[in-house]
Amino acid sequence: MSAKTRRREEAGLKRANFGDGPGLPTLLLLPQLLILLFFFFIPSLRALMQSVLLSDPFGTNVQFVWFDNFKTLLASSDYRQSIAVTFWFTAAQNVLTLGSALVLAFATDRIVRGRSAYRTIILLPYAIAPAIAGILWAFLFNPAVGPLAQVLHSFGIAWDPNLNPTDALLLVTLAASWKHICYDYIFLVVGLLAVPVSLMEAAAVDGAGPIRRFVSIALPMLGPTIFFLTVMNFIYGFFETFAIIDAVTKGGPAGATNILVYKVFVDGFVNLDLGSSAAQSVLLMSFALICTLLQFRYFDRKVNYGV
Amino acid sequence: MGRKVAFIAALFGALALVGPAQARVEVQWWHAMSGVLGDRLNELVEKFNTSQDKYTVVAIAKGNYDEVTNGVIAAYRAKRPPEMVQIAERGYMTMLLSGAIVPVQDLVEQKGYKIDFSDFIKPVASFWSYKGRMSAMPFNSSTPIFWYNKDHFQKAGFDNPADTWQELEKQLYAIKSKGISECGTVLPGDFYWSLLENYSAINNQPYGTLANGFDGLGTEFVYNKTKVVSQVARLKKWLDDGVMQIAGQGFSPEQLFTSGRCSTFVNSTASHGNIERNATINWSATFLPHESDIDPPLNSTIGGGAIWVMKGHTPERYDAVAAFLDFVAQPETQMWWHGATGYVPATNRAYALARERGYYKDHPTREIAVLQLSRGTPNENSRGFRFGNFVQTMLAQRQEVEAVFAGQKQPQQAMDDAVKRGNEILRQFEKLNAGKTPETERP
Repeated sequence: MSAKTRRREEAGLKRANFGDGPGLPTLLLLPQLLILLFFFFIPSLRALMQSVLLSDPFGTNVQFVWFDNFKTLLASSDYRQSIAVTFWFTAAQNVLTLGSALVLAFATDRIVRGRSAYRTIILLPYAIAPAIAGILWAFLFNPAVGPLAQVLHSFGIAWDPNLNPTDALLLVTLAASWKHICYDYIFLVVGLLAVPVSLMEAAAVDGAGPIRRFVSIALPMLGPTIFFLTVMNFIYGFFETFAIIDAVTKGGPAGATNILVYKVFVDGFVNLDLGSSAAQSVLLMSFALICTLLQFRYFDRKVNYGV
Repeated sequence: MGRKVAFIAALFGALALVGPAQARVEVQWWHAMSGVLGDRLNELVEKFNTSQDKYTVVAIAKGNYDEVTNGVIAAYRAKRPPEMVQIAERGYMTMLLSGAIVPVQDLVEQKGYKIDFSDFIKPVASFWSYKGRMSAMPFNSSTPIFWYNKDHFQKAGFDNPADTWQELEKQLYAIKSKGISECGTVLPGDFYWSLLENYSAINNQPYGTLANGFDGLGTEFVYNKTKVVSQVARLKKWLDDGVMQIAGQGFSPEQLFTSGRCSTFVNSTASHGNIERNATINWSATFLPHESDIDPPLNSTIGGGAIWVMKGHTPERYDAVAAFLDFVAQPETQMWWHGATGYVPATNRAYALARERGYYKDHPTREIAVLQLSRGTPNENSRGFRFGNFVQTMLAQRQEVEAVFAGQKQPQQAMDDAVKRGNEILRQFEKLNAGKTPETERP
């Protein structure tokens, strides 16, 4: 036993200690830090810089314009419409996703026979790429050839997401929710497993039916999970629905589904308006930051992980 | 052991193959052609590569026009641009004023090639040249034409589609009311190009001030004061009456036409290749309609793309580039490309060659684009469109037109808003490129 090891043991340190210097831990953290540096910090810094510049796409012509990009952005009705659409879309998607996932989790929790088969089927959409899911929904509800659109038409509903902004928004909301239900579902199923059986049994003995038991006992205990999922759904709606929007509506018609993250893409990569696109990313990033801070500050401490 | 020997032998064999190829100068060409057009483009490059043993052009498909543009911008900023890139006509001003390109006429002349730039057909030459010098090599030039289902028209008792919008409207309504097809026409995906911009040119309507931007960066859109407003109103009416349909995301208007669901559609002459391959219907094509009070209708304008040469390469590579551009400009190449794809032959000589060989007797619809492009004398309204940030102004306009289709805005209001938004975008381009204002030019 070397002197060093002995000393460590005398100090009561565990084996997981990495030695004396910061060398080894740094080395082990390095890959992650490098990834963060190259894929988050440097791009964020570039976005911050770009957001106060007016520049041509090739970067041969650059002017410093202070906060003009932000001013133009906040003054444009286009951007305000995009904010409104994003919040509507994300909120609706959140309610739909969580609601359906809760119902499904409750239902599969009650089922005894074939439970895992049901669960597998419900989880399947998660394996489908968002763009494919988008195309699938666009096809099903295409007013000219889509079978589900024909059903709607046969009920006398003039369904046309290519023409009607409300229909388009509804369609992308449905597609985005469908794609995300399985994510919420898996967390809720696990959450339900953690509800103490003794409590449920006691309630059952007292004469509470399954729905009553679910609402009065399981649901409150799922509180932290539901809150976590709400935050995740918002982040999903804000950032990850890009492919669905691109495949189903391309932000149209008349900007009805032009959510913020899609607008960042169009303004940056189609319109080549880099300053405005960067300013939008900065605003989006700040929003995500606020969301995370709120979560940590107000809600995280109420969460009891030791169920 | 035997396997190892075989492997080493194979390795040497491969090296022997690579050996002579290294003597060739290799240059890259990034492009946006897919499907049939992509296959034809690869054939063209293959023809060039086998025609000589000094240079190899490597054609790389980089997605659609937007993706190619983004790719080349990123590559240029990383100081590794390809030698050549195909950019759509809408990106003309962005490329011209980028400071990242070598004008093609300068390059080919410097390398001692004798391309007769005055032989390019007028709308093509005037579009791609700046101060009378060609900035990019015209490659795939197209123009929208009017495609129709012959059987549908005959069943409705018409010989041909009418020349004017007014008469055509009656025909489409008749076809619909007689139940011959579900929709008279389908809205083109690029309706802003064919039904608004080219509509303005053909009907002699100004689109912007300063000769649609040819005379300087201070140009402003004016299409909210022209027939474009009533054109948008007409399209809205057709949609409401079910005479026109929108194909929507995931489906191309072309599919609704070639399947026989819609009787007509307006699309680029470049869809010849696809339509010939896919259509099960008895189709034909003709000139775009014009307003009844316009006589004579003017020429349409070009779309499509050109080959730009990027800055920052070695002289040997520019030798290869110049050789390839010279090859592209040859009448034989142009004529082959025209026949293989439906794009317009870029030079008068190629067009004459196609006529001489009786090509249009078998393919009459292929000539429509050329005839429509060279109809009448081009004036300020029909020379073409040269607006900065043209993709961006177009998207704003598109959004406003969609608001009309959705019933949210009246056509006049929407076009006023589109012009207002467009002009703000133009001012930003002007601010960024101040001092580079192009002077009046008349090729």
